Amino acid sequence: MSTRERVLWIVAGIAIVVYALFPVGWIVSLSLKSSDDIANTQFLPTSVSWDNYSQILVGDAAGLFLPALRNSFGICIIATFLACVLSMFAAYAIARLDFRGKKLILSTALAVAIFPVISIVTPLFNLWRQIGLYDTWPGLIIPYLSLTLPLSIWTMSAFFREIPWEMEQAAQVDGATTWQAFRKVIVPLATPGVFTTAILAFFIAWNDFAYGISLTSTGASRPVPAALGLFSGASQFESPNGPIAAAAVIVTIPVVVLVLLFQRRIVAGLTNGAVKG
Amino acid sequence: MRRTRWRRTLAAGAATVALALLAGCGGAPAGPPVLNWYINPDDGGQAEIAQRCSAASNGQYQIAVSVLPRQSAEQRQQLIRRLAANDSSIDIMSIDPPYIPEFAEAKFLAPVPEDVAQRTTAGIVNSAKEGASWNGELVTVPFWANTQLLWYRKSQVAGTGLDLSKPVTWDQVVATAQAKNSIIAAQGIRAESLTVWLNALVEGGGGQIVTNASPQDPDGVQLGLDSPAATKAAEIMKAVSAVGGPGFSTNSEDENSNAFQSGDAMFQVNWPFVWGKVNSAVEEGTVPQSTPDDFGWALYPQTEAGRPSAPPYGGINLGVGAFSKHTDLAYQATECITSTENQKQYFLTNGNPAARISVFTDPDVVKKFPMAPVIAQSLQQAKPRPQTAYYSEVSESIQRTYHPTAGIDPPTVGPATAALIKAVLAKEELL
Amino acid sequence: MTTTTERPGTGTGASPAPRGASDRSRAEQKLGWYLAGPAFAVMLLVTAYPIIQAVYYSLFDYRLTDPDNISFVGLKNYAVILTDSIWWTSFGVTVFITVVTVAVELVLGFLLALVMMNALRAIRPVLRAAILIPYAVITVVSAFAWQYAFSLDSGFVNSWFGWLPGISAETDWFGSTGSSLFVICLAEIWKTTPFISLLLLAGLAQVPDVLQEAARVDGATWWQRMWKVTLPNMKAAIMVALLFRTLDAFRVFDSVFVMTAGANSTETVSFLAYRQTIARVEIGLGSAVSVLLFLSVVIICIGFIKGFKVDLSQARGEK
Repeated sequence: MSTRERVLWIVAGIAIVVYALFPVGWIVSLSLKSSDDIANTQFLPTSVSWDNYSQILVGDAAGLFLPALRNSFGICIIATFLACVLSMFAAYAIARLDFRGKKLILSTALAVAIFPVISIVTPLFNLWRQIGLYDTWPGLIIPYLSLTLPLSIWTMSAFFREIPWEMEQAAQVDGATTWQAFRKVIVPLATPGVFTTAILAFFIAWNDFAYGISLTSTGASRPVPAALGLFSGASQFESPNGPIAAAAVIVTIPVVVLVLLFQRRIVAGLTNGAVKG
Repeated sequence: MRRTRWRRTLAAGAATVALALLAGCGGAPAGPPVLNWYINPDDGGQAEIAQRCSAASNGQYQIAVSVLPRQSAEQRQQLIRRLAANDSSIDIMSIDPPYIPEFAEAKFLAPVPEDVAQRTTAGIVNSAKEGASWNGELVTVPFWANTQLLWYRKSQVAGTGLDLSKPVTWDQVVATAQAKNSIIAAQGIRAESLTVWLNALVEGGGGQIVTNASPQDPDGVQLGLDSPAATKAAEIMKAVSAVGGPGFSTNSEDENSNAFQSGDAMFQVNWPFVWGKVNSAVEEGTVPQSTPDDFGWALYPQTEAGRPSAPPYGGINLGVGAFSKHTDLAYQATECITSTENQKQYFLTNGNPAARISVFTDPDVVKKFPMAPVIAQSLQQAKPRPQTAYYSEVSESIQRTYHPTAGIDPPTVGPATAALIKAVLAKEELL
Repeated sequence: MTTTTERPGTGTGASPAPRGASDRSRAEQKLGWYLAGPAFAVMLLVTAYPIIQAVYYSLFDYRLTDPDNISFVGLKNYAVILTDSIWWTSFGVTVFITVVTVAVELVLGFLLALVMMNALRAIRPVLRAAILIPYAVITVVSAFAWQYAFSLDSGFVNSWFGWLPGISAETDWFGSTGSSLFVICLAEIWKTTPFISLLLLAGLAQVPDVLQEAARVDGATWWQRMWKVTLPNMKAAIMVALLFRTLDAFRVFDSVFVMTAGANSTETVSFLAYRQTIARVEIGLGSAVSVLLFLSVVIICIGFIKGFKVDLSQARGEK
């Protein structure tokens, strides 16, 4: 690579970083503006103020934001966990066994993945009302499974196909019991795939908005994205831009941390299940 | 959030969280029955009142508040969806008045006991009484009442020859802004506030948007959008758009209060929150004292000269859920919530004007809100938005056809809207 | 690239079991369904059941606040929708957003993938992390960020780009259809390009170096290699990315909801369905819109698979 080419790629790289971080930087900067600085039409605040954060964490809006944060974490983690467990079994069967219906299951996953969420919000809402799931954790966890399962099944199947299952037999030949062989040989090999799937599933659940605004109505189950629309200024007519920006930053922190820690796995997971040559 | 205010409301917030946690735990906590009060977002005032009333009830009930969305249309959606499911956990609701007929028609409201009705409507401004009723009977309890004033910058109006000590007309205000090459801030955004504006203009001209509400039969609804008053209203809207400044079609109350506060706009029609807002900014030191000193206020402009204007009426009334397990207690609680003292405190702390007329002459209130007498007069003159069980269809249709206001054709927009509303009610058109 | 070859015994759901299936394979059948069944059942329950219910509701005149007056109207709701200009406007807007965003994202995503491919090893992790951030940021947050950036009140865009013709401190981006759609598309593009670029990167990585070298030796220019070697070898990856993103874009809802709430005819089909059912509480009409939305997605999907010969077994990672 010549020096000129090298410089070119570095410049392009910097451009990518700016592109990716710019809007995030903007919302952070907005969240640090005081209520009268919001309208300064500049990128940066005139002076850094933590008002918006104190408002949503300990002030007026805390009663709205903290339960929402708790709900978001609780619901997304449970939905992720369930999706992982269900898809682990399914992916094992798909990767390892010969059985009729394999294609059917994969096609179903594909069909569910492209399903327009809005189409089923109303029937679900009506059903939930009748069976008492409206505005409850399970009432969101179940629909979240429809978002997370398809991707989990795919990603996990792709990972499981890579596992050299014959190692298990080799271990058994060496005198290990089935259980030992499974635990000592297969589990360590399968763990990364399961873990990556969990991160991706969590992202999807965390990102939901349509179910969140349609199937909840109180702090009992309302997730953060749905709560963002409920902030208010000092009176009902004043825009709550500041608190919204602060809440947006807080809700972005977990996903950014996950990205920074596990970027390699996430990329592998995203590309592994999608394209196979 | 104002730093000065949030300290004070911190305790209330914390108590709310604690209560919400209690209520959210599913199991009924031991102790007094919990009344769930669904509130519109405010500056913490309703949560404080809930605390005070819970304490004052001597263990009869405990009020827990849940916040509804910010837009009134979304508040309605959320309540309706739950009430349609016969949700028994909705005890008290803060309802935006235009949706009250729909709630009443759908039998979502528990009837108001005779004695409660008498006590809670004693000394209440006309518009609030009207807004809390449907078909001639009280179906909700008036809590607070809001109205819009015409705000002006004294320094900019000085020397224009416009005399604001007497009622002025929209035409005069527009002409003055044009002459000064300044801006009139009005709510031109596609939202509920557009209907608020149109209704005030039509009623101010002696017309009505809905002439026959026809509660039981949507096909019988009759509209008055082809009246001269409605045409005049559309003309005013179009004229104001021309001096509404940039972003008129997306400006809501808050943007307008900013434009007025900064001096870009010499006039605005807006709710009294603008006064609390500018004074908090002075306290924070971001705005000089000379700014609020330059604020002037007058009654809402007239649609036609000589006819008293019909300012917008807003605010909140309290409904009790028909499926609540504690309707009697809930009505007891509404009486406490809407007590004169609580209305006064709510006005002072959150800037939301009372529905009870005596509050406006209270010395504390007048000291903090020098425009209180004008607000009281405005509330007596104000007219509610069309009272119909199909209000949201009417309002959404209006927002669709009258927005953007700069592009309307005054003679035809009214009849076109009427046709659309009829088609929507007959379910022959989407909305 | 490989074609899908099925191992004997891996029948599709429809084919009969191979003759002489041993007990072992029968046991495997059973075990397979035991393991995969629960996931399959959950997926069906959460989606198939509600959509069937939506189809059922769509045949009725049913207003939520008036449950005593439900009446069967057959296909009238569909007739109302399909003869209504609102439906066609939102359909057009949705198609517009889909086409614009997907086209831009493909080009931009490809450029990003090229940069990542050729970046120095040292900065690759930085690039990877940076590019994943838009993917991970939730759509609602991204919509708020872009809305505030362009808003007259709090945005910096007008003061930064005031030197461009047509942009001044008073440009109201959300005041007209075109500029509103521009901002909506921008937000969508920012958020989803990284995903596309990662898929394309995986495709790039699969182009055999041998072919590249051979072309280089033959004296092909960079462009020629791109057109003749790289792209043809990536066709599968491109198609899969395209299909997924198109279906995703067609369902656009969050951004519109947050930024314009459908004002200035920026309504998309998803948003229209939401408004009829949730806001207007007309369950019958809204369900009919939902069903039409669902059908649109199905048609797009079938069109892709039949028209572009997208081999989804690629996507499924079947070997």
